[in-house]
Amino acid sequence: MLGILLVLLFFSPVFAQQELGVYEKLDQFIDDDIVFVDENFREVNIKDAIDKPTIVAMVYYECPGICTPLLNGLADVMKKSDLELGKNYQVFTISFSHAESPVLAQNKKRTYTKLVGKGDLENGWHFFTGDSLTIDRFLDNIGYKVKQEGDEFIHPATLVVLSPQGKITRYLHGTNYLPFDMKMAVVEASMGRSGPTINKILDYCFSYDPKGKTYVFNVTKVSGAIILVLALALLGSLIVSNRNKKTKNVL
Amino acid sequence: MTSTALKLNYLQVKKGLFSWIFSVDHKRIGLLYLYSLLTFFVAGVTLGILMRLELLNPGKDLMEAKTYNQVFTMHGVIMIFLFIIPSIPAVFGNFFLPIMLGTDDVSFPRINLLSWWVYIIGAIMALSTLMFGDGPADTGWTFYAPYSVKTGTNVTMAVLAAFVLGFSSILTGLNFIVTIHRLRTPGMGFLKMPLFAWALYATSWIQLLATPVVGITLLMIVAERVFGVGLFDPAIGGDPILYQHLFWIYSHPAVYIMALPAFGIISEVLPTFSNRTIFGYKAIAFSSLAIAFVGYFVWGHHMFTAGMSGPARIIYSIMTFLVAIPTAIKVFNWVATLYKGSIDVQPPLLYSLGFIFQFMVGGLSGLVLGALATDIHLHDTYFVVGHFHYVMFGGTGFAFFGALHYWYPKIWGRMYNKLVANIAFFIFFIGFNLLYFPMMIAGLMGMPRRYYDYLPEFHLPNMISTFGSWVLAVGLLLMLGNLIAGFWRKREKIGRNPWGTGITLEWQTLSPPPITNFDRMPVLPKDGPYDYDHKPDIKE
Repeated sequence: MLGILLVLLFFSPVFAQQELGVYEKLDQFIDDDIVFVDENFREVNIKDAIDKPTIVAMVYYECPGICTPLLNGLADVMKKSDLELGKNYQVFTISFSHAESPVLAQNKKRTYTKLVGKGDLENGWHFFTGDSLTIDRFLDNIGYKVKQEGDEFIHPATLVVLSPQGKITRYLHGTNYLPFDMKMAVVEASMGRSGPTINKILDYCFSYDPKGKTYVFNVTKVSGAIILVLALALLGSLIVSNRNKKTKNVL
Repeated sequence: MTSTALKLNYLQVKKGLFSWIFSVDHKRIGLLYLYSLLTFFVAGVTLGILMRLELLNPGKDLMEAKTYNQVFTMHGVIMIFLFIIPSIPAVFGNFFLPIMLGTDDVSFPRINLLSWWVYIIGAIMALSTLMFGDGPADTGWTFYAPYSVKTGTNVTMAVLAAFVLGFSSILTGLNFIVTIHRLRTPGMGFLKMPLFAWALYATSWIQLLATPVVGITLLMIVAERVFGVGLFDPAIGGDPILYQHLFWIYSHPAVYIMALPAFGIISEVLPTFSNRTIFGYKAIAFSSLAIAFVGYFVWGHHMFTAGMSGPARIIYSIMTFLVAIPTAIKVFNWVATLYKGSIDVQPPLLYSLGFIFQFMVGGLSGLVLGALATDIHLHDTYFVVGHFHYVMFGGTGFAFFGALHYWYPKIWGRMYNKLVANIAFFIFFIGFNLLYFPMMIAGLMGMPRRYYDYLPEFHLPNMISTFGSWVLAVGLLLMLGNLIAGFWRKREKIGRNPWGTGITLEWQTLSPPPITNFDRMPVLPKDGPYDYDHKPDIKE
């Protein structure tokens, strides 16, 4: 039994690594030769295109789940922020579905250009698509693990912030971002400094298993009930039984 | 027994290390706790000062971001689990509860010793995370999932340490409950108990009921880290919000484990130095129980921004406001006790007044955070950090040091230099407010917590705060140095009642108390524990 436990203990990090999610690769650089196609059908080398702090949003354009809240959250914080798009920072939206085309990207860009309505949106926010090999390499570069199920993807909702040198300096998790967090991340990126994320609430687009949840609640309910019953029994016994006067009194 | 044997005090009976670490005498166990707690407190303060140094200027000064995260986690774990949760009950509860009840020990002396050993084992486990692997946890003391499930640092050991420390807390709580029910001296009904005993009674029930919940939660983290069971990590089907619920179901009542005993101390110190009965004895006693009860239903206010339905948020917010009622009852009664009292300003009273002032700031800023609209703005900012330091350090910390100054002559049979103690208090008090008030300002300006760096616009409050940390450190060193120096001062005659106006039973026995606590039967005042009109005439 102890042997099995030790083996499990030893391999547990390996099991965990295979799960979906974001595995932060702070301080690592993205590859030099990753080429995506932008909304104007132009081939763009991502590393070369990064000349200022860059926020990367990984989504797919026909996503029915959290991609829209993520992009809305991003658009919202861009609107609120006092940083200037195209000057202080730029945004890349990249699709991880190789089936999607620049036409879809163009439509998305049009929608979000209207939504944000400030800054140099033409040159400051690009929407990319690419082939499966490039996508896989880039996902690996930034520590993203996604999984395709039918036409849909199971994926996390996170923004990645890159320094002008193409170094990963911060991950912003969730679908709502504070202007402060964004400003801090851009300032950090411009200095090439990085910091791990502490307070993360991850939003996921994932198939939900209600059975698993029932099990969890049972554990807590049962243990809660046991604690309460024991405590009440203690109080009852202390109140009901007579005080023991023979012992412990002074002198 | 001969009268000489009765007068032999607990410090004189046996000598040597083993006579202490295996002692079942509640007084010695109380002191074991005191010495261990103060050691960890000094370590925690050092970490805190290092964090403030890092934050003196924007950008990296002293440490890497990850190191900073580990330092604030260690600071939190040490201060919460090793210092403030056990603090007053384990030290002064152990030492004085049996004496105040007029009995010779707690109900289960061996379990009492066990609780100290469990505490030490937990402490060693927590500190061992420094030595191996990827270093101590970097999650913050709350161990929020799913990060705590994924980080490579030694979270498993840190979490197990917190689990073990919880057991120590449960054992102490159990012991106090049974002692209070069974071992009160004849004639002392529940409503004739000192208020410190009432506070410990309410605290003990929280310890007993809430601590197992966090124990189970922490074990669930271990199960997820080691066996990959999907409980909290959404990537494997878990729910991170479930973790927050389970964690705060314990940890919010734990705030009252920290605060209630402090209320008990203040309720003892004020009558002594006002030389009059406490105002509203029953109101203070029952408000402790009310706080303990309502305190179970407010945990959701830690999670207003974490995903919670509107009605749930409103209910939690209302419940949070309800806690303010019994708390305010206490504060009004304390102030009414001082009114027209014959006030004698001594170091313990200064600490109690410092407590009332700072706890008010902490409590009122708590209402700002308990209100939904303002919490959305202030959640996870430095305002929260300022708020809880006012409650825990400004409140419980000050009460702890007040109690140390109050009972010092009783515990060791000596007196410290009162003038130095007063000076130390003022430096400590000023340093404290310089350190934490600017944090609340920075929070209002929007500075988030848990970063080793900040934007240039927050420089001024951070500079003042770091300067405050130095003043506070000077005050603390002077205070502790003065108490230690007291051991070498020329012994003056302390007597049974060194303050002259102490009325509870510990002031009827010798200083330091004999092994069996009393050399003669204690006499109860006629109408309750603070009946100054019928104060028993105790001869030396």
